[in-house]
Amino acid sequence: MAPRILALAVMALLLAGCAAAPAESIAPVPAPLPTAEIDVPRQSSELAPVEQLAAPVRIQIPAVGVDISIAPVGIQPDGFMEIPENITVAGWYQYGSSPSSDTGSTVITAHVDDFVQGLGPFSRLASMPAQAEIIVTTDDGVDHRYQLESVQNIQKAQVPLDQVFDRDGAPRIVLLTCGGQFDENVRQYSDNVVAIANPL
Amino acid sequence: MRNKIFAGVAAGAIAAVGVAIPANAISDTTADLYVLHAVPGLTVDVYVNGELTLDDFEPGDLAGPLDLPADTYTVAITASDAADDSEPAIGPIDLTLEANTSYTAVAHLDESGDPTASLFTNDLSTVAAGEGRLTVRHTAAAPAVDVLANDAVAFDNLSNPDEVKADLAVGTISAAVALTGTTDPVIGPADVEIAEGVNTIVYAWGSAADDNLTLAVQTIDGLHSNPGGVDAGTAGLAADNNNGILVAGLGGLAALLALAGFAATRLSAARAAK
Repeated sequence: MAPRILALAVMALLLAGCAAAPAESIAPVPAPLPTAEIDVPRQSSELAPVEQLAAPVRIQIPAVGVDISIAPVGIQPDGFMEIPENITVAGWYQYGSSPSSDTGSTVITAHVDDFVQGLGPFSRLASMPAQAEIIVTTDDGVDHRYQLESVQNIQKAQVPLDQVFDRDGAPRIVLLTCGGQFDENVRQYSDNVVAIANPL
Repeated sequence: MRNKIFAGVAAGAIAAVGVAIPANAISDTTADLYVLHAVPGLTVDVYVNGELTLDDFEPGDLAGPLDLPADTYTVAITASDAADDSEPAIGPIDLTLEANTSYTAVAHLDESGDPTASLFTNDLSTVAAGEGRLTVRHTAAAPAVDVLANDAVAFDNLSNPDEVKADLAVGTISAAVALTGTTDPVIGPADVEIAEGVNTIVYAWGSAADDNLTLAVQTIDGLHSNPGGVDAGTAGLAADNNNGILVAGLGGLAALLALAGFAATRLSAARAAK
């Protein structure tokens, strides 16, 4: 609000200045052309390729021995986040932020287990020590380092999806897998294990 | 009125310092206005309510967004060396902007090649996760056209100054424009990227007679929605041990007992009062 009031005040001053100038002139020289007082942002409307973010390709959590590759994923037909079938590959939600974004959450998920493959590396998210270091490497070769802020079990229906998949807030990574109770009938876990880490 | 629009214009300028267009700044009291110059070969000045707002505005340039209080604004477009807006080349036209709405005002040619201006409303409603929106606007001096996507007609018989739109899965489409009933492109084919959560607005502009038909593209992001959830396990191998259920059950029982005790106390208290 303050900048707007300031702008208003500045404009009022400018307008007062304009008003003081003689409206009619008998001088033979033509009046100078008016100039715009506001610089409105402009850009070309030419067709340009969409800028691609550097994609995360590897995640390491040395404290719990996690070192796996990351593949870009999207949406399943049912509207849920897609997750690689291979439990030793994590999925990056490619429509959201990446570690090289200025804002938002980079969301990385892996299956906690599978009947055939057994327990996956992300089952160890729950046992990460406080302030564990997490390193995410992007495909431009940059290592992005994060420090664990929290790990918690949240009932799936209570997971704040708009915060998990936030694109505008402070940059961070959110690691997700499943946990809590397992319902044999629907073969689903009750909770998501949600780990949040901030850039170091 | 004058102060209002200036404050609005200034706020727009502050909000848009970065290269990328901010998602949108609309609110319950303000509208977003973009301005696209789609008249070939004519550098212009744009006056809003008599004030020069866009100086030396070049064909193909896109300006904005201006975050403006909801109101009616008079827009006049003059030659770039005009001293004021008394002899506009286009307009003056009155644009009524409603709060919470995004608009693009386009200076363009009508079907017969005369300069005109149109106000389009940009659809910023959210799209499903994994989708983007494609909007196509006919602002060219050309008869009705068909819009081809990947060699098939996606939208048919689009006339100046109309628009069509659809929500599509993310990806790149090969887009072309052909006069209705023909398949020989008069514009394109060109690769248009449908990005997630983005309204990609494609304008056909220029003149068929002058052989300078082309595309202009405006993108507005922030229309995305979230996945429905994350199901990341199917075997139960990582489940908490079942003591969890037991504890919850005991807890529930304790709560019931406490309630019963509370009710009994109330009952005896009521009896005692009689």
